Amino acid sequence: MLPLSIKDDEYKPAKFNLFVKLSGWFRSILADKTSRNLFFFLCLNLSFAFVELLYGIWSNSLGLISDSFHMFFDCTALLAGLAASVISRWRSNDSFSYGYVRAEVIAGFVNGLFLIFTAFFIFSEGVERALEPPDVHHERLLPVSIAGLLVNLVGIFVFQHGGHGHSHGGEGVFLHIVADTLGSVGVIISAILMQKYDLMIADPICSMLISILIGVSVVPLLRESIGILMQRTPPSLDQTLPECYQRVQQLQGVYNLQEPHFWTLCTDVYIGTLKLLVAPDADSRWILSQTHNIFTQVGVRQLYVQIDVAAM
Amino acid sequence: MACAPNRVRLLCMLSLTFGFFIVEVVVSRVTSSLAMLSDSFHMLSDVIALVVALVAVRFAEQTQSTNKNTFGWIRAEVMGALVNAVFLTALCFTIILEAIERFTEPHEIEKPEVVIGVGAAGLLVNLFGLCLFHGHAGGGGHGHSHGGHGHSHGGHKKHKNGKVRRCETLEDSRSAGEETNNLVGNQNNSPNGVNPDRTTAGKSEMCHSDSLDLQINGSAPYEELENGHDSASQLNMRGVFLHVLGDALGSVIVVINAIIFILVWNPCKPGEVCENPCVGQHCADHSLNISSEVTEGAKIAGPCWVLYLDPTLCVIMVCILLYTTYPLLKESALILLQTVPKQIDMHQLNAGLRKLEGVLAVHELHIWQLAGSRIIATAHIKCHDPTSYMDVAKRIKDFFHDEGIHATTIQPEFVTMNSDSRTSLCELSCRTQCAPKLCCGAADAVKPPDEAVDAKISCEAKTPTVTSTSATSLEIISESVEETSRPESIVIMTREVESSL
Repeated sequence: MLPLSIKDDEYKPAKFNLFVKLSGWFRSILADKTSRNLFFFLCLNLSFAFVELLYGIWSNSLGLISDSFHMFFDCTALLAGLAASVISRWRSNDSFSYGYVRAEVIAGFVNGLFLIFTAFFIFSEGVERALEPPDVHHERLLPVSIAGLLVNLVGIFVFQHGGHGHSHGGEGVFLHIVADTLGSVGVIISAILMQKYDLMIADPICSMLISILIGVSVVPLLRESIGILMQRTPPSLDQTLPECYQRVQQLQGVYNLQEPHFWTLCTDVYIGTLKLLVAPDADSRWILSQTHNIFTQVGVRQLYVQIDVAAM
Repeated sequence: MACAPNRVRLLCMLSLTFGFFIVEVVVSRVTSSLAMLSDSFHMLSDVIALVVALVAVRFAEQTQSTNKNTFGWIRAEVMGALVNAVFLTALCFTIILEAIERFTEPHEIEKPEVVIGVGAAGLLVNLFGLCLFHGHAGGGGHGHSHGGHGHSHGGHKKHKNGKVRRCETLEDSRSAGEETNNLVGNQNNSPNGVNPDRTTAGKSEMCHSDSLDLQINGSAPYEELENGHDSASQLNMRGVFLHVLGDALGSVIVVINAIIFILVWNPCKPGEVCENPCVGQHCADHSLNISSEVTEGAKIAGPCWVLYLDPTLCVIMVCILLYTTYPLLKESALILLQTVPKQIDMHQLNAGLRKLEGVLAVHELHIWQLAGSRIIATAHIKCHDPTSYMDVAKRIKDFFHDEGIHATTIQPEFVTMNSDSRTSLCELSCRTQCAPKLCCGAADAVKPPDEAVDAKISCEAKTPTVTSTSATSLEIISESVEETSRPESIVIMTREVESSL
């Protein structure tokens, strides 16, 4: 049997493929602006976390060590966002007929969940510290938290375009950076309070306030991504869809419009299915094209219209 | 009903766990033990996981489709599973954090007897929860086999059910989701049986007369619905089970640690001169005054390795948890990513569809899982003309039914009079500007060069060219008017462009 392919690299050994794959990912990361920014910010965050960890181990400050772990935790969120932006660009294949575009929505959702968990964790630690205030060495904490704040401000500046109106993955990352910034701000404020006024209670109160703020800010993102993942009708179409249904039902030959399902695949990509009950002498082709036209005007590009002929 | 016991189980476990959380908080205040307080927060996260699962189950019971959620709320179960899996992962991270902190600064356990008592009680609660949820998580597998049986035997009955339900949708002009109702789960109805309560007397005559004539285009059999619901909630329950398992392991570790501590550790009793070489070695924060003159009789606090047992066990537990949580995370994420369900082979399906009589081409075939065993498929099918279409449609629907896909929407595309040989092109394709948005037009490899002129017309500026043509030569939107007058003959495209999938 002759070989089916003339390409020789199909028969290359597997270990070359890994390198090729990695460099392929690298290229695709660097190609897009958003993922490039994400990648560099991730590197920045990671290196800062390492620096903080080493400094904390060297100076035996538990606060610094735990803060560095918090930054590592954030890096995983950034990694998730980066992975999502790479994955969502993969082509569709047999298992994923729509491609991987939903990855961004899921990444945004997971980031939101992580944020809620972080807020909960910070709140519980705040409660613990309020009941039993540990000895906090603020003179070491202040310069490091200021440096952390600077890093996060860089992140906000870089990602502010990806904040609103953009993909959910980007929004999740942005919120995460904002939360981190709020954390640094809170630490700085409490450190200043503790130095000036010797208010040991400031630390836990600040952390509790920050955790509440984080939790509240993440709710819109969660609601949106839950809506998409639950196959909810796209909110932007809520007003226009009933008019479209009416127009379709007024077409000649259409008796009834049944089971409309409209949902969001990812940002701005809407998919719809519906069933039309038509008269036996109706012009199906014309009805089909008119229906498609009506819905394309509201932004639903992928529409599946099933025609059921009522034989009477 | 499988769902009600789920809810009962969840409520039962929820109240137990919440009560235990309160107990732990009180004990921690009484004994002023910080470890107990942090453990109580772990319990609280368990409570939250149970609440999430309960909310998901509650939502998923509202299977009526609403205006906003046309598929109903079935997906809530998958979401609940994902949320629980993510929470578990985050919890594992924080446990690792705390374990590493303990490695650098080992603590002695204060009041180990109290810790043993509370730990054992927590273990009991968690073991009880494990029994509660293990039974269900394993029993969900049966649901599938029932569905399989019902499938092979109930072929005729399915159609009969479908006919009656179809009638009911006739009267309801705003029947948004009647079939989805049936698809999504109407637990009041008995499987394999027509429920007479659903039709009123006046409508039933119309129903019976129409049912024979009405062409049915697919409806979900009842027996699939309940089993689908089971396997969806199975995912949710698995998440809860894993969470309870994690907590149980945590309690086991606490108890083991405290027991070994009591048996092996020689503490520094107050009033004695003794050294504690384990604590305070690396930590400059607490500077222990270790006196250099150690008398012969001075005691040295017990073997140091005991203090490192706790974080080590924690790390092992985290590994176990992550290993068991990963499949759940992957499965729920894949469903939400609109994957083709793993039991379905797209190639085979596509080939089978194309072999059906009357089917010229298949475009834009998408199959995805709503939740559990509810699978939804959509496709464009190209066929010759509208008169033969209804038979073809029935055959297609039967084909999908045999595969286990019951909610299908098939859009027919009819060959235009003059270009009946261009079978592979989408008749209603988008413009190329829409092509990146996953339309099938982008994937067609071979296009006649004249069609390049269509590419420039934007999506919004689509004017219906239908009005300008006569009824016999119908025009479709994606082709410009002048093409129909060209009497060219285009090579028959017999091979479907696979990449359009």
